[in-house]
Amino acid sequence: MRVAKNIFLTAIIIFVGYHSVYFKKLDSIKAAKAGALFNASQYAQAFWNDKLNPHLDKAIEIVHLTSQFSTDTGKTFDTYSHALGIGNLRYFLVKGKGIITSINEDDVSVLPDSSKQNIKIATEYIFGNAVRDATGLININEFNNTMDFNNVSAAINKIIRETILPSFKSMARKENKVEFVGAIELNKEHLDLSRIEVIPVQIKIMPY
Amino acid sequence: MKRLLCLPTILAATILLSPFFIGGCKRQVSTNSKKKVAVIVSTLNNPWFVVLAQTAASQVQSLGYETKIFDSQNNTSLEADNFENAIASGFNAILFNPTDADGSIVNALKAKAADIPVFCMDREINSTDAATSQILSDNYSGCVALGKYFVEQMKKKGNYVEILGLVGDNNTWNRSRGFHSVVDFYPDLKIVAQQSADFDRNKAMEVMESLLQAHPGINAVFCGNDAMASGAYQALVAAGNSNQVKVFGFDGAEDVINSIKDKKIVATGMQFPKEMALTAANYADQYIKGKRDFPKKMPVAVELVTQENVDEYIGYGKKDNAQK
Repeated sequence: MRVAKNIFLTAIIIFVGYHSVYFKKLDSIKAAKAGALFNASQYAQAFWNDKLNPHLDKAIEIVHLTSQFSTDTGKTFDTYSHALGIGNLRYFLVKGKGIITSINEDDVSVLPDSSKQNIKIATEYIFGNAVRDATGLININEFNNTMDFNNVSAAINKIIRETILPSFKSMARKENKVEFVGAIELNKEHLDLSRIEVIPVQIKIMPY
Repeated sequence: MKRLLCLPTILAATILLSPFFIGGCKRQVSTNSKKKVAVIVSTLNNPWFVVLAQTAASQVQSLGYETKIFDSQNNTSLEADNFENAIASGFNAILFNPTDADGSIVNALKAKAADIPVFCMDREINSTDAATSQILSDNYSGCVALGKYFVEQMKKKGNYVEILGLVGDNNTWNRSRGFHSVVDFYPDLKIVAQQSADFDRNKAMEVMESLLQAHPGINAVFCGNDAMASGAYQALVAAGNSNQVKVFGFDGAEDVINSIKDKKIVATGMQFPKEMALTAANYADQYIKGKRDFPKKMPVAVELVTQENVDEYIGYGKKDNAQK
């Protein structure tokens, strides 16, 4: 009787123990975690194809934008700019047509149609959050980690560097007519319209 | 897959004893009608954090709360004590400037377990659910702008050193990564040394002195905060190199703004501690009044301050219209 009782108790202990602890291979855990890691390049490419490109027709004419500032700066920022946080730096999605007035080491100067103020199309320093933030289509709360969010900007800028700029830089000549869409950063409190620099998202040299 | 025996008795004992632990952790319920907001700050040994803490405390006072500033002295254990005191004393919210991105999570979680909301200011913790909201300087983007200016000023070539802040702080690495995300595109800009000085002016001076001995031909130094930039500049003056080496900082501290005006330091990234403190205090007020929907992270833009635009700025912020 006692032996049977001990066997019964041992069986219960083994049963409970067997179902209480699970061991998995460390490799499989690491592989699962790696699979869940955020892929900034993939996110940026999807953003570029599915959100940014369909949104380009909503860009504001740069000449219209600059003229709006002289009417009501605050309202113009409220209507056309986006930013993901607090502060004076705001981003706009802009478009325009104009004549190339000079080719410089780090940019191309363009005089937009019906404007007296040159703007710059950046060809060297493609950095920052202008393109990521200008559409207002990305929500920071989608990201668990600040670095993921930063890496999205870097990945978008890489797309521009690799797919938009090479052909433009090789073909652009002074007096060419260009059509562009891009993003700009402006400081709400210290607005300086004499140094507008467009990070291009789409740029075409027009036939004469 | 292997399975091992466990001890169900441990589980049973834990369940039986847990009410005693829970009872021991109960906080004192404030009997006063006036609610209280704690400000727990990483250090008061740096004027930047003094501005942050004092602005937060002043704002919560102006909103009708009692407040107290707790100084963690850059020590996570002391920070844990501060949290326990704040929880036991019945504070209704905590405005928190953490000492360590990982080490401080447990403290925020303790407050959360006691139903006290935590609003991080400036420094981040590596958890998305421990704090109610984190109001953070956009260090990475600020240093991207600073990195671009650095490349322009260096004309894309030269040797430089980098002095890092606290290695356990996310801000240190966000700044460094932002800077390198630009500068590393230029192979003729060579980093010859990278060393930590813990965001401390005196340590930065010592680090810079030894770096100058090891690398006498450097052209620039990028420092992870302004206190270190001031220390590095002091070492350069002592070595007679201050005209040959360009110094770049980050923070927008008053002495560095003055040094930029005097053309001693080239540029800094202006953070806005007052803006962060005010936002955190207002969030705490809104939480106490019933709001629950807050952004998990709220970046605050950092602006580049150079010798061209320095007149627009004062220490820790921008000039208002009356100061212009």
